[in-house]
This record gives sequence, structure tokens and C-alpha cells, in this order.
Amino acid sequence: MADSKDAGEEALRRLIATFQPSFLAPNPALSETSRAASRHLFSALRPFCPKSPLDQLLIDGFDAEQIWQQIDLQSQPLLSSLRRQVKHFAKNPEEISKLKVVPLGKKVEKEQREDWVEESDGFDEELEDDEEGEGKGGEEGMDIEDEDEEQGRESDNEEESEGEDEEEKGEDGEAGDGGIEDKFLKIDELAKYLEKEEENFEKAEEDTRGKKGADDEENTEDDDDDDEEEEEEEEESDEDAEFGFGGEDAAGDMENARYEDFFGDKGKYSKKMKAQLHQESEGSDEEDDDMKFKKQNKGTASTHQKQLEKIHSKIEEMEKANLEPKTWTMQGEVTAAKRPKNSALEVDLDFEHNVRPAPVITEEVTASIEDMIKKRITEGNFNDVQKAPKLPSKVPREVKELDDNKSKKGLAEIYEQEYVEKEDPTSAPLSFRDEQKQQASVLFKKLGLKLDALAHFSFAPKPVIEDMSVQINVPALAMEEIAPVAVSDAAMLAPEEVFEGKGDIKEETELTKEERKRRRANKKRRFKAAAVKRMGKKVQEGALPNQMNG
Amino acid sequence: MLRRNIRMRREYLYRKSLEGKERLLYEKKRKIREALQEGKPIPTELRNEEAALRREIDLEDENTAVPRTHIDDEYAHAAEKDPKILLTTSRDPSAPLQQFVKELSYVFPNAQRMNRGGQVISEIIESCRAHDYTDVVLVHEHRGVPDGLIVCHLPYGPTAYFGLLNVVTRHEIKDKKAIGTMPEAYPHLIFDNFSTKLGERTANILKYLFPVPKPDTKRIVTFSNQSDYVSFRHHIYEKHGGPKSIELKEIGPRFELRLYQIKLGTVDQAEAQIEWVIRPYMNTSKKRKFLSD
Repeated sequence: MADSKDAGEEALRRLIATFQPSFLAPNPALSETSRAASRHLFSALRPFCPKSPLDQLLIDGFDAEQIWQQIDLQSQPLLSSLRRQVKHFAKNPEEISKLKVVPLGKKVEKEQREDWVEESDGFDEELEDDEEGEGKGGEEGMDIEDEDEEQGRESDNEEESEGEDEEEKGEDGEAGDGGIEDKFLKIDELAKYLEKEEENFEKAEEDTRGKKGADDEENTEDDDDDDEEEEEEEEESDEDAEFGFGGEDAAGDMENARYEDFFGDKGKYSKKMKAQLHQESEGSDEEDDDMKFKKQNKGTASTHQKQLEKIHSKIEEMEKANLEPKTWTMQGEVTAAKRPKNSALEVDLDFEHNVRPAPVITEEVTASIEDMIKKRITEGNFNDVQKAPKLPSKVPREVKELDDNKSKKGLAEIYEQEYVEKEDPTSAPLSFRDEQKQQASVLFKKLGLKLDALAHFSFAPKPVIEDMSVQINVPALAMEEIAPVAVSDAAMLAPEEVFEGKGDIKEETELTKEERKRRRANKKRRFKAAAVKRMGKKVQEGALPNQMNG
Repeated sequence: MLRRNIRMRREYLYRKSLEGKERLLYEKKRKIREALQEGKPIPTELRNEEAALRREIDLEDENTAVPRTHIDDEYAHAAEKDPKILLTTSRDPSAPLQQFVKELSYVFPNAQRMNRGGQVISEIIESCRAHDYTDVVLVHEHRGVPDGLIVCHLPYGPTAYFGLLNVVTRHEIKDKKAIGTMPEAYPHLIFDNFSTKLGERTANILKYLFPVPKPDTKRIVTFSNQSDYVSFRHHIYEKHGGPKSIELKEIGPRFELRLYQIKLGTVDQAEAQIEWVIRPYMNTSKKRKFLSD
């Protein structure tokens, strides 16, 4: 046993040490080595799977496919037990510290897991590069490569994926640094993802199968664009779902699946049955695909199924939205109180404006205005304020000129003239000014006559015959004020010319009885005095003629 | 002084109230005159008053033929006296607005700028009447950008309210040398495309802010109307050579005016009659033009 074990280890080491690209060409020696290594590993793992029917990996005379299936037989229950362990550790982290780190080869019950993880770590680091680029490609290349190579590759892949799983399912602290992680694979993310999957899986055990299927579908949907590692996880999670559902049974539950497994109680009819049906079919398709280990598409569901899935999720969303109250933009008339604060600022509101928009002043507009201006300038056509013709608001005042010559008229004549004017305004004589004007015009006429004579009388205007006409000292034009600010009601006469008198003037009706009597008495006295004077005059006049005649 | 003002205002209002009757009379006379000219029979509704009206027609001269309106009263002295303008702002103006008002005080000849301080509008109007101002111009703003212009003609004149748009001030032009100083000669005026009655009225309101210019000034102020937006431009021109070559140089601020109200009273009279107000929410207002055809 020890020999074989050593041989196995030796084979493994040799395999690790080989130059990687040599795997590409068929090589019988290499295939022998890989078979031996696989057997060694199988035996190493044997103690951990008590229920496995195979004690040893049978490699003689078996082809790649058969060896692969044997490995699978062992690994499936192993994975589930590992999961349980990890969960257990997740719940009780203190137990982790109890585990001892043991070097390769030693078999301690609890520590074996650790070894295993260590071993797989080391192994993984070596083979990470291969797997990384070609995880999928490797399997797809199955057809291309030889069977021997296939075998080697498959086993490698299988082991590697196992190892990766272990790693991923191991504690978070076990994140491989350097070779394992790169931009596609993040161990932390993987671990988290797996835990999430397991939680879902837990829920599914209590809920109906359909919900679990939905979760899986969603997960598969979400991971469409993820890299291969996560796809592998999905597959494994699906596989686990299978397994989990069937309890701890081995792979082979698919054939024994019943209606209840998928749809729960037959009696229950929920709303989402139809949707679930679709999802179920997709799920089962996927599982079948997984079981066949064909990785055709990312979600391993047909395009039609995926479309249907999308539509159904959209329908669900829309139904949910319809049940909720609408957003305020869809609610018709909304006052400020009914919508959240400042929400109108974020929405692009559209109004129909009833005013013409303000003109944008472009170059063309300015140019057109300037052209118009130039045209107007050349024409001289401006809309200026026109000055109104100035009407004389006042008559040109007569300038009183003082004549310091001795007046030719006597004083009596002057008074006489004034009296006549007062009585009859039209009979006023010529004023001083008019006289001057007249003299000037007479002089000019004389001059004109002389000039005409010099011009040989070729034009002899009719001599103007001046007739004596009375000119009135009254303004010829009485202008009306344009805006009479105040109408002067000053009379032509001065107040003292209107009335001369002293004291308190009383009217007839205002007098008292005594006053009236006094007035009458005065009047009588004056009348009597006047009468006496007349009598006196008459006597005198009467006496004179008597004297003259006699 | 107060009683005089009150009396004058009452006379003005009385004459305004008579306008309706005068207009009726004028219309009747016009109909009769037309009928007489064309030799048609006089319309039957005027048969009774026909004799009296005909006598009046014979006696009237050019002054009385056209009925006097309150507009003539408002701008009666405008042609004789040079306008005197007071420019001021709303309360607490920002610096850009003050600069703009300073520029405007150079645009209008014989304009005086005043700080607003805390004065009430009625105080301002009273003091302007007392000091014989003909117009008061108020400028309003929004965050530094001038956006409103109110032109109030003083004895009891109309008040026109404009909104300002697309304002470009001289201060915004960085190259001070290029723009030079503002000339202070009395400018020529150009009013383009004011064809309706309201357009004529607006043009008059803006026209009488300026005095009578000399015929040979080089300074031009333009108000050009394009679909109810009036563009204000201020240029100096030069004629190089003979062949109708004219070079325009733009100086002064540039803005668009948009008339939104005319009131038949001064600014401080809140209950004055509204001559015209813009109707932006009427459905057909988009299709209509009020200042041109």
C-alpha cells in the first residue's frame, strides 16, 4: 500500500512538474502518469466518503469516460458533506481553531479536511493557469483532443474544480493569493455567492419547489455574463439543489422526482403557477443539461425560454406597479401639496406657450436693422419731433415813448380828446407810433418815386392815395391763448374808476330806518339848496335883461 | 398751486369725457360732407340735425375740423418745449442696474439721473411736477439684468410699461477704446414698422422723450418693431465719399422692448384707466400683432 501510495505521489509530482503544453499532444507515458495520479488522489479521498461503492479507482482497461464517471461517483456525496461542514463552521467559527494544520500524507480525522484544502491549494495554484483560460475550452476541446489527453485533462479539471470548490467552500481566510485570483475569479465573491446560494437552498427546502426554481433561474439569469467559475458554481448549486431536495441521496434522484417535488402540494393553486411552470421547465432543462455536462449557453436554457422568462418578469413588475399608487406626474391635476418638495424641478414639464418667443438677435437680424437704418439715412427720412409753428402768445407791447417836446395841444384839448375817446372808442386819434410810421412811409414813397425815375419809369406803380382814416388804438389781433392757464377777469377800468366813494357803502335794502331817514333828509336839503340857487340865478338873469331892455 | 393742479386735472378729465360726444358729432359732420361732395342724398338719421350741422361745417377751419383728443392735450406742449427727463430705478438697485441707468441718461438728451433711496413713487411724481419735468423713466431689474422700463409722461400723461429683453450694456464691452465716448448731440429718430393706432401711440410716447434735433446730426436712435418686439439701437454714422456709402458704428446699449401696458394716468395713479394691456393667455394672441399689421 505504501509503495503504491508513494508511486501515486511520485506520479502526481511528476505530473505537476511536466511542461504544460506537452499535455496538448498525445503521450502514452503522460497518460499513465495521470492515471496513477488520479488513482492516488481517489484513494486519498476514499476515507472521507464512507458510502462510496468504489474502493479504488479502476484505471486498467477503462477509458476516459468511465474513469470520469467513477470520479464523479465519489465526488458528489463528498461535495454535499463538505458543504455541511462549511456551514457548520460558519455557524460555529470557534471550532475552526480546533483544526490542526497537518502536512501532506498524514491522516487525522478532523485535520484531513485541512490537508485536503492545503493539498488542493497547492494543486490549484499549479493548474490554475490551465483552468483559467480553458475551463470551458478544456471540456469543449474534449472532442478535439485524444482520449488519453481527455482523460488526463478531465481528471485534472475535475480535481481542480473540486479543489476550487473546496477552496471556495473553505473559510474566507483561505483566499488563495497570487495565482488563483485575478480579474475573473475573486475567491471572496465566490464564497459569498455560494453562501447566498445555500441560503436560498435552505429557504427552498421549506418553500415550494417552484420558488427555489425561480431563485435558481434568477441566479442563472444574473450570472449570464459572469465567468466560467461562477457557471460551474451554478451547476454545482443546481446539482446541490437536486441533491438537497432529495435529501442526502446520491445522484440519481432525478429519475425519482415527483410532482410534489416540483409543484409542492397538488391542492394548492397559487397565482404564479403558470410562471412557475415555465420556470420549472427551464430549471429541469437546465438540470438535464448540467447532468449531461454540456455547457452550450451561459444560462443553459434555450433562447425562447429566456425570452419567456424575461417577459414574465416584466409582467410581474408591471402588475406590481399597477397595484401601487401612481407617481404624481401621472395623477392629473396635482397641487404643490400633493407632490414631494421640489419634485417639479426634476421633471421636464411641457407647456404650450401662447406667446411668441423672444427674438434671438442673430447676425442677420442686426444686419437687416442696419440696412434699414442706412436706407433711411440716405433718404433723410426720420421720424423726428416736429417743431410747432410758434404763434405769438402776446401782442407786441406798445412801447411808451416819452416825448419831451412841448405839447402842441393845450390841456383843454387833451381833456377833450380823452373824453371823446371814452365816449366812443372808435374815434381815437392816431397814436404817436402810428404817426411815426406814417411819416416813414411817406418818406419812403418819395424815395421810391425818385428811384423809379432813375429807372426810367419802366414800372410805374399806381400811386397810393392816402385817405384820412382813423386808426384805433386797439390791438389788431386779439390772440387766443393756446392753453389759457388763467382767464383774467380784470376789467378795463380800474376800481377807483368804477366807483368813487368813501366809507361803508350800503345798498338800499341794507339800510336801517334811521339811515333811510337820514339819506332822505340829506337829499331834501341838497335839493332845497339847489332850488334856492336856481331861483337866485333866475332872478339875476331876469334882472339883467330887464336892465338891458330898459 | 395744489388747487390749480386739481382744477387743471379736472378740466383735462372733462375734456376727455367730452371726446365721445365730439367724436359722434365729427362722424355726423363727416357723413354730411361726404354726401354733399358725392351728391348723394343725406342719410335719413341726420335729416333733423342737418341744417345746424351744415352751418357748422361751413364755419369750421382746420383747427376745429379734426376733433381734439386727450392725446393732443397730453402732448400739446411737447413740440414747443424740450423734454426734461428724470431717470431712476427700483429700490435698492444692483451695480449693473446703476450702470445701465447711467448709460440711459446719456442716451436721452436732457436727462437727469437720480438715486432712488427710499422715496415713494408719489413723492417722486410730485417733485417732478413741481420742477417742471416732462417725463419720468423707471428701470427695474432681475438679479442685475435690467428687465423693466416704465415711461411716465408728466402733466397727466400716459404711462407705458415695457419689458426689456436681450440687454447688452456698454459696460459689458471690454474694449473701452473701440467704443469711445458717447456723443451728446440731439439724435435723429427712426421708428420702423409701427403701423397700427396702438403702434403710433407707442411711437409717440417714445418720440416725445427726445427733443427736436438739428438736421445735420450724426447720431441716430432707432426703434424697430418686429412682431411686437421693438429693438432699440443707437448708432453714429459717417459718410465717406460721395456714392451713398454710409458706415454705421454702434454705440450705446442695445435691448428689445416689449410693451405690456399703457395707462392713461401717471405711475402713482393705481386706478387710472387702462388704455391697452397685453393678453398673453388668450388663445389667438400668438397669431395677432398689435404694434404692426
